Amino acid sequence: MIRGRDIVKRFGPTTAVDGVTFDVMKGETYGLLGPNGAGKTTLMRLLSALSPLSSGGLVVAGLDVTRQGRAVRERLGVVTQQDGLDTDLTVRQNLETHGYFSGLSRRESRRRAAEVLAFFGLSDRAHDDIDHLSGGMKRRLAIARAFMMAPDVIILDEPTTGLDPQGRNLVWDKLAALKASGVTILMSTHYMEEAAALCDRIAIMHQGRILDEGTPDELIERHASVEVAQLRMVTDVKAEVQAALVAAGYAWREVGTMIHVAARDGQRPQVPPLEGVRVTYRPGNLEDVFLAVAGKGLGEE
Amino acid sequence: MRTQGTWIVAGVRWRSVQALWLRHAVALKRIWKVATTWYLVEPAFALVAVGFGIGRLVDEVEGGVRYSVFVAPGIIMASAMIHAIFECSWGVFYRITGGFYETVLTAPVTVTELALGDLTWAATRAVLTTISVGSVAIAFGWVTSPWAVGILLAALLVGMEIGAIGLIFAALSPNTHTLSLVFTVVATPLYFFSGSFFPIAVLPDVLEPLAWALPLTPGVHIAQGFARGELRLTHLWSALYMIGLTAVILPIAIRLLKRRLVT
Ligand SMILES: Nc1ncnc2c1ncn2[C@@H]1O[C@H](COP(=O)(O)OP(=O)(O)OP(=O)(O)O)[C@@H](O)[C@H]1O
Ligand SMILES: [Mg+2]
Repeated sequence: MIRGRDIVKRFGPTTAVDGVTFDVMKGETYGLLGPNGAGKTTLMRLLSALSPLSSGGLVVAGLDVTRQGRAVRERLGVVTQQDGLDTDLTVRQNLETHGYFSGLSRRESRRRAAEVLAFFGLSDRAHDDIDHLSGGMKRRLAIARAFMMAPDVIILDEPTTGLDPQGRNLVWDKLAALKASGVTILMSTHYMEEAAALCDRIAIMHQGRILDEGTPDELIERHASVEVAQLRMVTDVKAEVQAALVAAGYAWREVGTMIHVAARDGQRPQVPPLEGVRVTYRPGNLEDVFLAVAGKGLGEE
Repeated sequence: MRTQGTWIVAGVRWRSVQALWLRHAVALKRIWKVATTWYLVEPAFALVAVGFGIGRLVDEVEGGVRYSVFVAPGIIMASAMIHAIFECSWGVFYRITGGFYETVLTAPVTVTELALGDLTWAATRAVLTTISVGSVAIAFGWVTSPWAVGILLAALLVGMEIGAIGLIFAALSPNTHTLSLVFTVVATPLYFFSGSFFPIAVLPDVLEPLAWALPLTPGVHIAQGFARGELRLTHLWSALYMIGLTAVILPIAIRLLKRRLVT
């Protein structure tokens, strides 16, 4: 459904996307993970034919984004990182005008807007001003807008950033329903649970490149430890803890105020008992993958 | 659901232009009570103040025309100009910086179509204010010729041409400080020096051609012609000048908008 080859995008001296090659199959949900400035939004704008490629090839739904931009945008639903709502109109009017821009008749737009509002639980806010919505509701409306045309492919740039857990679950439910109906989804996210819950495959992006790609399980197997010990220092003993870990030959990483210790030979890490340290164990997850892969990328600079 | 009702002429999809126009109309309808002050009350103040106030002091201008009769079409065109410039500079600027135009562009719409939609809306606003202030002028008996409907044509030309200038400001301004230059550099000089309040002939000789070159002057000239029912060849030249200017400015504005929106 999406086929990208050696995609490069430069903004003056900065190279925001630096030779990305990837494929997304029909019906697949593909996730882009990466730190701020990795180039996720830029790549998604290229995909949506909102921005011209500097070089490389990109085909979406069988259409070349460079030569057939309008046709590509007819087939896509796009949720931009900024909500980009029309603050002069009501909730319902926002959806209706988008439908009309996209080619629906006014009557169809009205009918479809009612459907989409109901689907996203916004029916009772249909006549509200945009400024009266909470941040989470605005985000939901921005996502709802991308569904006005029942697209084959939907592109979501950080769909749930700024949502409370309830709002996030609601959006996940809706995306899961769409996924089940065969829609191809490409999304970026900073939430590992989100990527793990929704994505069939994940690409880890850093400095404009895809560093690794695979299913969540493959990535965890490749880059994360089966079990991780999380050390929380209650008193100021960080230096001693680190020295002890080095002495015991464990691989570890500082994550914020915590230290994560990886398993060795598939065995739970045996952290030396130290005063003032609390240890919890958990299975390896995508966050470890992300830190391992993107962290390595950072180190190579 | 696929695109339908889409006429594409010279690469411009008519539906996009229509949709933006409709969006503006819906937005205006939501705030029509406040909008009445911009379209009618404010320009009517100018009309009344200048027509009655200054009209009492000035006997007549240009071969026996009452001052209020002379000034009415100019004030109408000044209002048309303000509406067009405001829509296409401030309106467009906020729709760009708020991210709304980016989301419109995710639909099968191009920047050129957005520009044309805004321009047609600017012309619509110019016509709307012309109708409302014009009615006041007619009520006072300051516009009497049946030819006066032609003022709407002048408003249409002013809306397009001044709107295109406004688009350039929207495309180039990094922030509202630079955007506010549109008033200092465009709106204010045009308001006072386009032959609305006094005949251009009274200006010093050096300034006279300059005043004629200003983009609003031919609009005022045409409106005055229609208002008095005296049409001459100069009115035709004026119309062609405005159309020509629009044809030059608009492609530049579109190119600048593309540079801002499609990076
Ligand atoms: N229009 C632009 N002009 C110049 N540089 C840009 C432009 N857009 C993006 N960049 C640069 O490209 C790089 C990638 O930015 P991008 O927004 O794609 O990152 P991202 O992965 O979406 O980050 P985030 O997680 O913060 O949203 C950054 O260095 C950014 O400064
Ligand atoms: Mg981004």
